[in-house]
Amino acid sequence: MTLFAVSLLLIVTAGVAAAALGRRPALGEMLFRLLFAVGSVTGAVPALAVLGGATVPDVRLASRAPFGAWAFGLDSLSAVFVLAILIVGAACAFYGVAYLDHERGHRAVGAAHLLLALLVAALALAVTARAAVPFLIAWEMMAVLAYLLVVFEHDRPEVRRAGLIYLVATHVGTLLLFALFAAWAGGGGDFSFAAFAAHPPFSGGRGGMILALALVAFGLKAGVVPLHIWLPEAHAAAPAHVSALMSGVVIKMGIYGLMRALVMFGAPPPWWGWTVLALGACSGVLGVVWALAQHDIKRLLAFHSVENVGIILLGIGAGALGLAYGHPVIAVLGFAGAALHTLNHALFKSLLFLGAGSVIHATGARDIDRLGGLARRMPATAAAFLIGAAAIVGLPPLNGFVSEWVVYQALLGSGSANDAMRRAVLAAVALAFMGALALACFAKVVGVIYLGTPRDTVADAARERPRGMTHPPLGLAIACIVIGLLPIAVVPPALRVGSLVARGLPGGAGSQVASVGATAFTVALAVGLFVAWAVRRAFGRRTGASLAPTWGCGYATATPRMAYTASSFAAPLLGTFRSFAGFQSDRRAYAFTTYAFDPVLDRVFLPAWHAIESAATRLRSAQRGALSLYLVYVGAAVIGVLFYLLLAGRDL
Amino acid sequence: MTREGLVALGILGLAAPALPGIVVKTKSLLTGRRGPPVLQLYYDLWKLLRKGTVYSRTTTWVFRAGPVVVLASLVVAALFLPLDGREAPASFAGDLVAFAGLLALGRFALVLAGLDTGSSFEGMGASREVTIASFAEPTLFLCFIALVLATGDVSLAGMLGTPLAEAWPRAGASLSLVGISLFVLLLAENCRVPVDDPATHLELTMIHEVIVLDHSGPDLALILYGSALKLGLFSVLVVSVFVPRAGLSGPVAPAVLFLGLGVVAVLVGVVESAMARLRLSRVPQLLVGAGALALFGIILQLG
Repeated sequence: MTLFAVSLLLIVTAGVAAAALGRRPALGEMLFRLLFAVGSVTGAVPALAVLGGATVPDVRLASRAPFGAWAFGLDSLSAVFVLAILIVGAACAFYGVAYLDHERGHRAVGAAHLLLALLVAALALAVTARAAVPFLIAWEMMAVLAYLLVVFEHDRPEVRRAGLIYLVATHVGTLLLFALFAAWAGGGGDFSFAAFAAHPPFSGGRGGMILALALVAFGLKAGVVPLHIWLPEAHAAAPAHVSALMSGVVIKMGIYGLMRALVMFGAPPPWWGWTVLALGACSGVLGVVWALAQHDIKRLLAFHSVENVGIILLGIGAGALGLAYGHPVIAVLGFAGAALHTLNHALFKSLLFLGAGSVIHATGARDIDRLGGLARRMPATAAAFLIGAAAIVGLPPLNGFVSEWVVYQALLGSGSANDAMRRAVLAAVALAFMGALALACFAKVVGVIYLGTPRDTVADAARERPRGMTHPPLGLAIACIVIGLLPIAVVPPALRVGSLVARGLPGGAGSQVASVGATAFTVALAVGLFVAWAVRRAFGRRTGASLAPTWGCGYATATPRMAYTASSFAAPLLGTFRSFAGFQSDRRAYAFTTYAFDPVLDRVFLPAWHAIESAATRLRSAQRGALSLYLVYVGAAVIGVLFYLLLAGRDL
Repeated sequence: MTREGLVALGILGLAAPALPGIVVKTKSLLTGRRGPPVLQLYYDLWKLLRKGTVYSRTTTWVFRAGPVVVLASLVVAALFLPLDGREAPASFAGDLVAFAGLLALGRFALVLAGLDTGSSFEGMGASREVTIASFAEPTLFLCFIALVLATGDVSLAGMLGTPLAEAWPRAGASLSLVGISLFVLLLAENCRVPVDDPATHLELTMIHEVIVLDHSGPDLALILYGSALKLGLFSVLVVSVFVPRAGLSGPVAPAVLFLGLGVVAVLVGVVESAMARLRLSRVPQLLVGAGALALFGIILQLG
């Protein structure tokens, strides 16, 4: 824990250095990067050690504080999240320096670096807190710091609107957390997680209430459908490296909360597992369908976060059902898959957001229909983005495949159960559907942004970004490849996490064996791809190659305007989903465009809010501002209560 | 891994290009034509391999990598199939996910290569390919789930190997439904009628053919061979479900397999002669229908 504390101090110092040396930005930013890097590496050491099987004693501070001591601990569940926070945090911090370079002078760049460093520290504290009070403080710091970063470009009204929506959503979640911890502690004054975990069996509906509160509060943070409405707004409005951090790790705090709640709660009842599984399937499928309809690259990526949270929830749901029905192997596999996918999603989603940020930085365009042909103009960004896209789709031999494979194992494994658990096997179909739709979506994104011909002059004029903006995504891409090639290195630690969440149940042995086979497969595939590529190149040198324009099927004057756009690419698929898809199309003789909207926000929440508003407006006629009228109301209320008590037969 | 299995893998690799030939020959005979020779694809491949390549000036390394990735992924996918009816060259728990992932990898590479040319025709083909695949993949998993439930095994070698033979007496009805569903998938994944018409002459009506418009020479050869191999892999799935070969000894099992592959190819030809291509907007309905068959197979076992 000492190393961990040092690491957080270094990261905060890095932020302070960047902010304090605002007059000498070169020195300040150099110190920021240096200290941040050293801090991240220092923090990663204990996290990796814990994932490797070491144990770290808990720390108790301020043991006389109200509501119990402030305990902090680092177990394997915390370690996975710490690792994700530090890797993604460092990549985003490095990227942010270059990304905000041209903002220097008219916006508070140094302060933004400080906020980012503080946010990373708050995230790390939240996942290591072992008592309700420090957890809530870290949670609230995280929410406020993230808000401040989201509204970095606060002169734009849509950014302020997104910030407000985010702030309201996150505080609703915090309020629910207060309710959750109060319900858990009951009359006792000890709010430490150890006390929560040692709870006696809950009577009545209290256990159910705790689990339901946890699901809503943490689901709101994670962006589970239908509580995702804040997510695309906030992630689209923030600067790219902040979006990367938010989509990569901030929303994962919801996942952490759910898993931590399970560690403390023990086996949940079956209905909770089924609910989580159903929510996961809905989030996954709807998230990717809505992503397909988007043309704003950052909103599109944000909806993919909804999808991936769905995949993680499928893992958690399978794990919870495994606990509820007493199948330890499925429980461990489900939680292990969820934990691994959390880490993997943090890596490739932040990579994709950083890549998108570079594209926006280079072209000023967020509408992908204006882009095209950027692979020639920004080769390093394109290569990193392509790897991230293949990883998020779950293609072997990349990391997304490894974690989805573990989740699939949990879901398919439930097929051999001999009780109601057996039906969970059908959730694997939802996972397959998500994978196939994600492939369609990322074929669209990569194809329309990076391949083909530029559709607009902004894309034609784009140039590769400086190294400060290409290296962080490339580094994350390497991490995706390494994890993808070595399931044998990541599956055992993930199983350790799964076993922890399943409260020490063993059951990962079979999967450890399988991870050897999976490693042989991924390595063989990578070698096969490389050899095939080399052979093809050698063969091509013999047969020769020539260059020509693209074959236009007889049309001699094909122009970039005739190339397929994102609208036209996604239209046939979206058409099959009709009203679910959240898009409207505008078909004219010379152009075809589609517009995306969020069906939940625009068809459910906003109409509901308007209905409440109009009902409240009608009530307003009772408010006349005359004191006598209010006295009548008070009198009527008192008489009404008296009558109620008389009728209910209570003593006064 | 048995010696027969390895030999069978080699023969599958060599014989795959004959499968499209059998399909075309059946179709020709049924419609009263003589048709090209069964071995036509071998001549085509040989011709293409000796040609130079023409690359579009728009394309990048993504286009050049496409055909290589397509073929490599299919070759690796073939390693997971138990050709001798008992064991596969490669197998681990959950390898069916790897099999589906490899098909997806090949598709991703092909679609991106098509988009790399900037041609609206290839963009159209790519869009249709991913649309159909979005419905084909869940259907494939429904079939796999039914097999997992029937055999209690989560590797392809088990699902299609010895445990499958033991499951037939118990779950025969369910397995038949899965087999039919897999056959429909074979038609969709391999761009046959009623989903796509490989013999069409108008780019606007094509799916697979139009994505590869700009591929030439050895690249086109790789893609054509890959398509034949993919047809072979799906035929192996169909034959393995309908004819479990775990009980057959020695060279009989592979012999039955290749006989089965021929029968499947003839069946594809019969389907192609008997019906017309569906409207594109109806294709998802066909695949959902196939998925419903497999789902019914699953319900039979869950119930």
